[in-house]
Amino acid sequence: MKRRSIAALLLVTVVAAAVAATTSGATKKANASSITVWLQTDAQSGWADLVASVNQKFQSDHPGTTVNVQYQSWGDHLQKFDATLAGGGGPDVIEMGNTEMTKYMAAGAFADLSSAKGSFDNSANWLKGLAASGVYKNKTYGVPYYAGSRVVTYRSDLFKKAGISKLPTSTAAYAADAQKLMAKSGKKGFSPVYIAGTDWYFAMGFVFDYGGGIAAQISGKWKGLLTTPKSIAGLTAYKNFFATASRASKTTDESHPNPYDVYAQGQAASMIGPSWYTCCVGAKYKGSTSQFVMPGHVAGTSMPGFLGGSDLAVPITSNNKALATDWLKDFTSTSSEKTLQAKGNIPNATNLLGNSINERAASRSWFVPTAKHWVDVENGNILRNMLAQILTGKLSVKQAAQSASDNIASVLNQP
Amino acid sequence: MSEGTSTATAAGTFPLTSRRRRRLWGRVAVPYALIAPVVITIALILGYPLYYLVRLSLQQYGLFELIRHKGIGVGLANYRSVLHDQIFWHTLVRTIVFTAANVVLTMVLGLLVALLLVRVSRPVRLLLSSSLVLVWSMPVVVAVQVWYWMTNFENGVVNYVLTQLHLGSFEQHDWYASTFSQLSMVTLLIVWGALPFVAITLYAALAQVPNDLLEAASVDGAGAWMKFRDITLPILRPILLILTSLSIIWDFGVFTQPYLLIGQSKVTPGNFLMSIYLFEEGYFKSDYGRGAAISLLMLAIVGVLSIVYVRRMVRIGVET
Amino acid sequence: MKSRRLGWDALGIAVFVVMVFPVFWMISTAFKPNDQIVSLTPTWLPLHPTLDHFTDAIHRPYFWTDVKNSLIIVCVTVALSIALAFLAAIALARFGFAGRKLFVVLVIGIQMLPQAGLIIPLYVVLARYHQVNTLTGVILTYMTFVLPFSVWTLRGFLLGIPKELEEAAMVDGSTRVGVFLKILLPLMGPGLVATSVFAFITTWNEYIFARILLNDQSKQTVTVWLSYFYGTSRHTDWGALMAASTLTAVPVVVFFLLVQRRIAFGLTQGAVRG
Repeated sequence: MKRRSIAALLLVTVVAAAVAATTSGATKKANASSITVWLQTDAQSGWADLVASVNQKFQSDHPGTTVNVQYQSWGDHLQKFDATLAGGGGPDVIEMGNTEMTKYMAAGAFADLSSAKGSFDNSANWLKGLAASGVYKNKTYGVPYYAGSRVVTYRSDLFKKAGISKLPTSTAAYAADAQKLMAKSGKKGFSPVYIAGTDWYFAMGFVFDYGGGIAAQISGKWKGLLTTPKSIAGLTAYKNFFATASRASKTTDESHPNPYDVYAQGQAASMIGPSWYTCCVGAKYKGSTSQFVMPGHVAGTSMPGFLGGSDLAVPITSNNKALATDWLKDFTSTSSEKTLQAKGNIPNATNLLGNSINERAASRSWFVPTAKHWVDVENGNILRNMLAQILTGKLSVKQAAQSASDNIASVLNQP
Repeated sequence: MSEGTSTATAAGTFPLTSRRRRRLWGRVAVPYALIAPVVITIALILGYPLYYLVRLSLQQYGLFELIRHKGIGVGLANYRSVLHDQIFWHTLVRTIVFTAANVVLTMVLGLLVALLLVRVSRPVRLLLSSSLVLVWSMPVVVAVQVWYWMTNFENGVVNYVLTQLHLGSFEQHDWYASTFSQLSMVTLLIVWGALPFVAITLYAALAQVPNDLLEAASVDGAGAWMKFRDITLPILRPILLILTSLSIIWDFGVFTQPYLLIGQSKVTPGNFLMSIYLFEEGYFKSDYGRGAAISLLMLAIVGVLSIVYVRRMVRIGVET
Repeated sequence: MKSRRLGWDALGIAVFVVMVFPVFWMISTAFKPNDQIVSLTPTWLPLHPTLDHFTDAIHRPYFWTDVKNSLIIVCVTVALSIALAFLAAIALARFGFAGRKLFVVLVIGIQMLPQAGLIIPLYVVLARYHQVNTLTGVILTYMTFVLPFSVWTLRGFLLGIPKELEEAAMVDGSTRVGVFLKILLPLMGPGLVATSVFAFITTWNEYIFARILLNDQSKQTVTVWLSYFYGTSRHTDWGALMAASTLTAVPVVVFFLLVQRRIAFGLTQGAVRG
């Protein structure tokens, strides 16, 4: 009798497992009746209505096909993407950060959109920096979605109190203004210009302002450029500017703490970051906050700003590439881009650029080397460590640049 | 069917009649039936992944290969590359020290809190155990964020309180400046988060200590420490061994707290822990073959580290 | 006697304060208006408490749906896991059988695997069974994580129960099942409860597998729902995040308060007196 009950138990367990395995709980298999789109939560909180209207238009143009938008987090969307590349069930359209693109393009993760490029609105005028992030070996895999640059957000009341009547038009003028602001305030830990020491997005702007660079590919091999005289000049200029203007930690990054939190506490007269920083300056200072474009070392020019942004791509594993491309056309259409622009982003084409502070800052921009292993340089914090060493004085500018440059070259030249 | 006594026939033979055979099989099969559901569930879900992991560790398998679902067999090359990596060895030593510190602190403090729970009055017990559960139920990401806030050098409350208590000037003290300091903060966070489980489990185990034994010992004149050592501790031993082995396993492989608290921008080979090393090598660099090799190496290492406890555990079960 | 009890109580309260402070900070932040959250000098108690963050959190899309999903997943996982683990623990603690050592190695070995390495292989397997984006897929995954330590922990509790008790009951004429119901189960009460609480909390707070396996927001768990508060590249709304986190902690605390008496009850049976 016991044997029978054991057998029964085993049978029940196996059957239960089989039932669980076969009751396909609606894994939305990609078929002609729906496409899956992965956008970041920025879209959900920023322009969900745009997404909805694009979906509506798409659905009316393609009756019977629904759009299933799934919002992802920046922290783990690539892990999820990798899992779907391995096991299937991935999206038909995916939003990628522009620095994330090259690695995946080199691995053949995306469908070639070169032939469809002409049918995207304004493709002839796509922003150079953004478009370049979607091109690999002369084939287009990514469609520029939107971009953002960096601007100076400042307290107009503090500037007025310090006697600054005109906004600075050169880095030197800004440094002089910083001294005035420091003299007027003098609070402990107060920064006339709050910049985190290892904010390489800002610091590298100096390098490009002086005509230097990070790395370049010469006859197939990557060579570090941080040791060239122009780059050294840029890094030295950053070191001097930081010493005058910022009391932030020399070794932490730009989210520990968030510059806008420091600003909201009244501990900074200005800060440098994306234009959306105005969201969080606190009710007390909202009225006296304005923005201007960071000036370069040559009077009247702007400092090259890091062009952050996103591209949209069609994974190679998609079963609905044609439909996905159509959706992309709708989502990056002129009217869509204008809506994104109204929400404070930089649209993807030069002919759409307006005169907002964000867009003016993008007139001079720089971008990271489009190398397969660039993400390893970022993840390895090579530039951050270099800046920390320079600012703390642990190494001289030349030494720190040498070590970083060698490091970068060896990482980028990996097979 | 009654459980009849065995009817031995002449000279110790035990004829296996069909009925007796069925009963014998029945008795023998019971433990297998009891463990079958667990074995089947685990085999169903983890069987293939384990095989996949081993196979991956023997292949060159990056993003390129992932997309094409095809790797290149390279034998033990991944293992060789990891074992020749200086960073691997430094990280290993650092992680072992880190694990030891965490486990000792967790177990000692957990036991103390459990003993405390027994001795306090009922309302305080409810308060204390509820606070333990609250701590336990906080999502890790949120706990890390709150800890970071509390300890950040700009306006952290810890610096503020320490300065107010005149324990020295802690204004703008950066608790994340050195590796030792960073890992100490991580240790405090992990011990704080792990205490509830240990304390509550030990509190439950203390319930199994027979009251009459303790009272008898009191009557005989035994002091608190003797009672603890001779009566309580032996009964707690299995659970203590289990909790210690579990703590070793978990603290060796902990990832979220160190990675988020130190921050992605400050994580360097100089302050790697094994799980972060795995994450950087396997995921960030998309070298899945190497990542699999590191995973299996970690498995082997943790096995070795906890073998003493595990063996003792297994032996206890056999003795009774 | 009374003064000693007071001494312990004072210590208990001190430990309470130290342990609960970060939780208190989270909850008080949830009630603070935004400017107090980032102020330079810490505000201990919110001067003008606001419920805005809570209403904001509750009104985020799919909150109640995701809570429901979490409850289903966690309750099924815990119930099944504790039941199956208890059976297996009995086998380990009370029987000698061939392959027993192998089973122990399996149980411990599973826990030693770093979870990060399992993400992609597990996804591939579940995709093959069509269990991606299903609650059952997540339940099965969680069970494989919960079963090993549950078996391990329950075995430990079982070993603490002297075999003599069972043998005495059998001599008195009780059947095996009777022993199980009248001796084993009551004494195991605290152990079962402690293990269930652990299983409940671990699965309730689990994030990465839920994130990878569940695609539709209508199927996700509450930890994934929480991630939408900080997954953006823009500014994180800390007040809302703290309020949301406080809300997600509620079911766990409720569950514990419901079962904690079981532990206390067991304790009065054989408590240590100071």
